[in-house]
Amino acid sequence: MNTETTKKSTPYTVPIGPVHPALKEPVMFTFQMEGEIVKSVDFAPGNTHRGIEWMGMRRNPVQIVHLTDRICGICGIVHSLSFARAVEQIAEIEVPPRADYIRTILHELERMQSHILWAGVAAHELGFDSLLYLSWRVREQSMDLIENLTGNRVNYGIVQVGGVRRDISDEQLPIIEQGLSYYRGLLDQMKTVFLDDSTIRMRCRDHGLLSYRDAQLLCAIGPTARASGVAMDVRHDYPYCAYGDLNVHPVIPPQEFGGPHGDVYDRIIVRLLELAQSIDIIQQCLDNMPAGEILWEKKIPKLLSVLKKAHGEAIGRVEAPRGECMHYVRMDGNDAPATWKVKASSYSNLMSWIPMLKGEQLADVPIIVASIDPCMSCTDRVTVIQNGSAADLTKEDLTRLSRDKTRRLSQC
Amino acid sequence: MARLPMMPELLRQLFRKPATNAFPARYLPPSVTKFLSSVAQGEAAINPPVPVPPKFRGKIAYDRESCIGCSLCLRVCPAHAIEFLPSTKRIRIYVTQCIFCSQCNDICPKGSLHMTPEFLLACEDRYAETQIVE
Amino acid sequence: MLTDIILTLAGAFLVVIFSLIVAFFLLGVDRIVTARMQARIGPPLTQPFTDMRKLFTKENVVPANAIPWLFNLAPVVALASAITILLYIPIGGFPPVLSGGGDLILVMYLLTLPALALVAGGFSSGSPYATVGAQREMVTMIAYEFPLAVVIIAIAWKLAVSGVPLPFMLMSIQANPVWGLVGPLGIIGILILFFVLLIVTPAELSRIPFDTPEAETELAGGVLVEYSGKNLALFTLTQGVKTVVMASLMVALFIPYRLSALVPAPAILQPVLDLLFYLILVVLVAFVAVSLIRVSMARFRINQVVSVYWIYLSLIGIAGLLLVMADHFIGVV
Repeated sequence: MNTETTKKSTPYTVPIGPVHPALKEPVMFTFQMEGEIVKSVDFAPGNTHRGIEWMGMRRNPVQIVHLTDRICGICGIVHSLSFARAVEQIAEIEVPPRADYIRTILHELERMQSHILWAGVAAHELGFDSLLYLSWRVREQSMDLIENLTGNRVNYGIVQVGGVRRDISDEQLPIIEQGLSYYRGLLDQMKTVFLDDSTIRMRCRDHGLLSYRDAQLLCAIGPTARASGVAMDVRHDYPYCAYGDLNVHPVIPPQEFGGPHGDVYDRIIVRLLELAQSIDIIQQCLDNMPAGEILWEKKIPKLLSVLKKAHGEAIGRVEAPRGECMHYVRMDGNDAPATWKVKASSYSNLMSWIPMLKGEQLADVPIIVASIDPCMSCTDRVTVIQNGSAADLTKEDLTRLSRDKTRRLSQC
Repeated sequence: MARLPMMPELLRQLFRKPATNAFPARYLPPSVTKFLSSVAQGEAAINPPVPVPPKFRGKIAYDRESCIGCSLCLRVCPAHAIEFLPSTKRIRIYVTQCIFCSQCNDICPKGSLHMTPEFLLACEDRYAETQIVE
Repeated sequence: MLTDIILTLAGAFLVVIFSLIVAFFLLGVDRIVTARMQARIGPPLTQPFTDMRKLFTKENVVPANAIPWLFNLAPVVALASAITILLYIPIGGFPPVLSGGGDLILVMYLLTLPALALVAGGFSSGSPYATVGAQREMVTMIAYEFPLAVVIIAIAWKLAVSGVPLPFMLMSIQANPVWGLVGPLGIIGILILFFVLLIVTPAELSRIPFDTPEAETELAGGVLVEYSGKNLALFTLTQGVKTVVMASLMVALFIPYRLSALVPAPAILQPVLDLLFYLILVVLVAFVAVSLIRVSMARFRINQVVSVYWIYLSLIGIAGLLLVMADHFIGVV
């Protein structure tokens, strides 16, 4: 204990990152510590910038759809769907209803596997490896289901501009039903092992707090915001695909768990309840699935020529497992889009780390960092280099740069 | 009272079969290359991988005969993995660069391109015979 | 006199060899059992040995801002002190090698030595992670010491009031199983004390949920973060030997039975039987105290470690002690 008193007077620095077991993807944290308590925190993303937008602006939309699959290893369909929806709005393409339903089913399957993956990672950050193995073991079922429907486990390649590339056949319906009933039977067990466990409760309850007001001020989105009681969900607020026909409501921590606290525990609750919601949505889709075409234009050369003639700009919005994901696309009559900008969901959530981490113990840093389910490879769209090393940009610099870019865009 | 709902589950699991698929072998062989060469000679058996579903997108297959050299596939390949050979009017696909999206299969007017279920493609030479389809 | 010294040396040598083998065995069993509980296959039983052989061939990296002599000395001290404890603990029914020299109090002091060496090594490695880890190791050590002392004192006290001479000597505890000396109330008390010792063990061995000093996900190995090669191998060995020590201590304190006393067997087979029985007991105790607890909990924060030991376990331990005392006085009246 006396170590704490001697350390009281001298705050010391603990760096975490860019590569550290607490982080699943590279980001640099600098903590000013007093004893075990975090006094202040700073972080610097930008370590996984790969220039995907640059690559995209040299390819046609049919190629970019497959590139978007690779922005993130987990939310493949989110980015391709978001991009496809932006392009469809520009070219005024109407997606057939059946394709919308198939997109919804896969979108929700992806949410399921992503939330289970997150649950495993969170358990690992708590030092509870058995739960990691259990979660990832049951996640396999959803991965197999996705593989069966799309042809690949991770890079689905199912979305095409104007629809989807593969239909769900009658033989595949029982496989989906089987997968759903597997997860239905599993839900109670998942809730028990995560929410009834005393050690998890001890570590997560009332830690990593994000108040309702902070969540709104920092524009937090997705499960992070919903755990703080902000009822927002793009699927409900701005329905796309088949969500307009379905019964979808934002999940906020219910009263039986004491209502929203905005802590790590609530983020676990929200994700587990969304797992149940996803099963329900897929069931609704299967029950109401219309027949018909799955592509607006089957002949891809024709689709390419339509897209080449398209002029305009649009934003595609979807609710990713981590929150709202946006793609801004501007086309000016060339093969490749004039501008393509990706705003991934984690980008909006990163700033909520600061109020969450302040005043917490060093031991809670991994789980709090993981609790917003950060995806750095989704987020890192820029890295600033001056004279060969990383540089900082001030608010004034950023304002100037964004004005310059708006001018550039309005000219083309 | 402290509740540990995982403990009974773990004790039950102790007496069940592990979920791991022991592919390619139960334990890491002392030398992987030696193990693989002995598998090739039929001396050792490989534990089979998890089977792939129908319509899995694995290594690409190319039917030279039916190809008409329209080079439409080059327009949609996101990874620029396909090369057009003007002398023979045929294509060459670099598997190491291919991202298995099968977009070229969709656009091919003659159906000359297919995806096979083969996915064990690891190789030490990116220009090896197995890594180039033509 | 000389023969005594030679015999002691030979005994010490045998114990070291034996304990290292048992240490590897326990580490291997722990890894397999843990893997099975998590639905994995796990490594072969020889994996800890393979790891160790690899570590010994690796380079010893000393960080630039470390204190080299202390940094290199710490693992040696840790392993040496861990092995020394073994010389004071009866193994497999055999009396301790240094039976004349020390008792449980000495064992308790010696148990802190590997931890202190770890702290010294952590502070001398000059990394913020290791420093935080070393601070935590110190706090953990202070935290679990009291419940451990309660357990040892309770048993020794019971032996003392039952008229056993030299109650702190492990040999007298071995000769007079404490279960036989108490009534039903006392049995409950001793069961509680056994439970306390089972919970103290993971902290002694820096295992989840009390592995806060190493804490892979936050401190990336904590006190051990800068260690590599032979030094790391020595610390890993210390970990194994400490597992043997703690398991043997638990067996010696609470299950000090010999199979040869229960099953009639030829005189030559008796030591073998005893040794086998001891191994089974050690594996069982290690399974509960190390493997099972480790896989079924999340890691505690350092303040939670302190409150678990100082408040909950101390209270439970004292309750056990009081039950043993109550049992004794009821018996006397």
